[in-house]
Amino acid sequence: MSALIDSLATEARLPADDHAEVRRRAHKALLKHGFPDLKTEAWKYTSLRVLEKRAFSDQRPGLSSLPELPFAATVLHFDNGILDATDLNLPAGVSLQPQTDEKLAAVDHGDRAGAFGWLNLARFEQAWQLRIEGQQEQPLVLAISTAEDFHGDVHPRLAIELAAGATAQIIEVHEDRGEGLVNIVQDIALERGANLHHLVSRHSAQSAWIQRSEAKVARDADYRFHALDRGGRLTRHDLAVTLTESGAQAEIDGTVLVNDRQHVDFHTAIEHEVGHTNSRESFRILADGSGVGVFNGRIHIHRGADDSHSDLNTANLLLSESARINAKPELEIYAEEVTASHGATIGQLDDQALFYLRTRGIPADQASALLKQGFAAAPFENIESESIRNWLIGELGQLL
Amino acid sequence: MLNIKNLHVAVNGKEILKGLDLDVGPGELHALMGPNGSGKSTLGYALAGRDGYEITDGSVAFEGQDLAELEPEERAAAGLFLAFQYPVEIPGVNNAYFLRAALNAQRKARGEEEVDSMTFLKTVRESIKTLKMDEALLKRAVNEGFSGGEKKRNEIVQMAVLQPKLAVLDETDSGLDIDALKLVAEGINGLRDGKRSFIVITHYQRLLDYLTPDRVHVLSDGRIVESGGQELSHRLEAEGYAFLEESAA
Repeated sequence: MSALIDSLATEARLPADDHAEVRRRAHKALLKHGFPDLKTEAWKYTSLRVLEKRAFSDQRPGLSSLPELPFAATVLHFDNGILDATDLNLPAGVSLQPQTDEKLAAVDHGDRAGAFGWLNLARFEQAWQLRIEGQQEQPLVLAISTAEDFHGDVHPRLAIELAAGATAQIIEVHEDRGEGLVNIVQDIALERGANLHHLVSRHSAQSAWIQRSEAKVARDADYRFHALDRGGRLTRHDLAVTLTESGAQAEIDGTVLVNDRQHVDFHTAIEHEVGHTNSRESFRILADGSGVGVFNGRIHIHRGADDSHSDLNTANLLLSESARINAKPELEIYAEEVTASHGATIGQLDDQALFYLRTRGIPADQASALLKQGFAAAPFENIESESIRNWLIGELGQLL
Repeated sequence: MLNIKNLHVAVNGKEILKGLDLDVGPGELHALMGPNGSGKSTLGYALAGRDGYEITDGSVAFEGQDLAELEPEERAAAGLFLAFQYPVEIPGVNNAYFLRAALNAQRKARGEEEVDSMTFLKTVRESIKTLKMDEALLKRAVNEGFSGGEKKRNEIVQMAVLQPKLAVLDETDSGLDIDALKLVAEGINGLRDGKRSFIVITHYQRLLDYLTPDRVHVLSDGRIVESGGQELSHRLEAEGYAFLEESAA
């Protein structure tokens, strides 16, 4: 794995700024642990070989295009991963500032499985802190896009804080046209009674897209996550949600579409640290062509987290003989008076349903597209905002 | 309208229909009765073109066209409709969207213009009202979470919207209470216009009391063994299928 260290993380590539000590510490941790390989449990289905073969260029790419959105929103555009923070027009109650060195110094990305987190901390261009107060009516869009001549590596770092009682929708729109590495770290905190709806719509071309989102959810706060991943050459998203106080809850819904030689790996973990916490998760993968989809959903109900409830479900469609899906729910329970359920299915399009649609006059191709679309859209049916729901379902329709 | 001659159909290599003859003229309603396993549903599936239902001998002509040469969707566009005995649930596909997609796919295949959503909704709402169904069903996924009776009535709604030339109704009456049965019968009678034809597959006399079939046929072991008027269905109701064995003996 030293090839990756050589291409991404030589000491000479550490930016020189006020965070030198933080970066050196991260760099040391990265060298110590190394990048994960197929022997690393959390990475056993996702190889980094595509990345190893790449040379990353420091040349500045052209402007990337901002995706069009069919709803009104405040947009923060991370052009090729970099946010131009001048002239931002943020709504009242929303503020953006650089993270303090003190905050960064306290970060711990763990061992080898957290290598990309350490890489991000060693190499980030910007580390932003977004703080949200009050009831935000309009969604906040974080658009990260790359241009066709993007061959570099970029390491956006963002902390999102919702003040007590705040409500917000954060929609990430990731559009990649390049062939580099986008390595995102997000650190999300919901204070008491806060309510965050966090959506990710992602489509990656040849770039490796690696994202780590960690959310901490305090008393009576509510974290909702929706992901629509429309495939990429190498995409890995780790989502770790910790319910730290009673009354906290998390709901995770996602759909992943892979085709051709795409590879998307979603690892989610929900930590019920204390009792009276609830979670629900539903995840779907549709794999066509030689696509590979990975879903690993972990629920961990800690000792003493009594009276907690969780439900985890993953349903998957294998649409071609050379596609592959690895779907694994993991449940660890150390508490009492807990209800926890999980299920995983992998199947194919239902012949009976196809025939039914065809007897109504719908041609075979259209019938299978309709079935796929119906299957893929299910995790989005519970989105309250009609315009956002229709937008995501529309994005699906374009692909199926 | 429909001319079936010496039809032999095998399912998974096993012959189920063994020389069935049936002619259904325009505007006629034929009832097809018979014991379990006699091949009634097989006929429905074979007409609709289900995979694995192989025509090994004989012929089926629909308005002079050889059905065996058509894909299921082409048969639908030509005017054939099968109401399923067990309507299939299609999760995630909204009922209204599905129906409009079906109607427009058929119209497109026939070279007709697609219907706009206003005209479409008007037609669907009328059918839904006739069948006393809840309009909210339109927004729900096709048949998902529908009760048995709702699924059957939904088949009739589809038939009313798609306006086929020939409808094959496979045990649409089974599992219906008497009120739902009347509504289904009303739905069917409302579509009888002297041109549209029906094959009604049923176990019971009940539905036929409301439909007044032109012909009643009894299917046994893959063949039609008895045909007659409505009195035949009364006789079956009273005596069961035992007399078939007597007449065969």
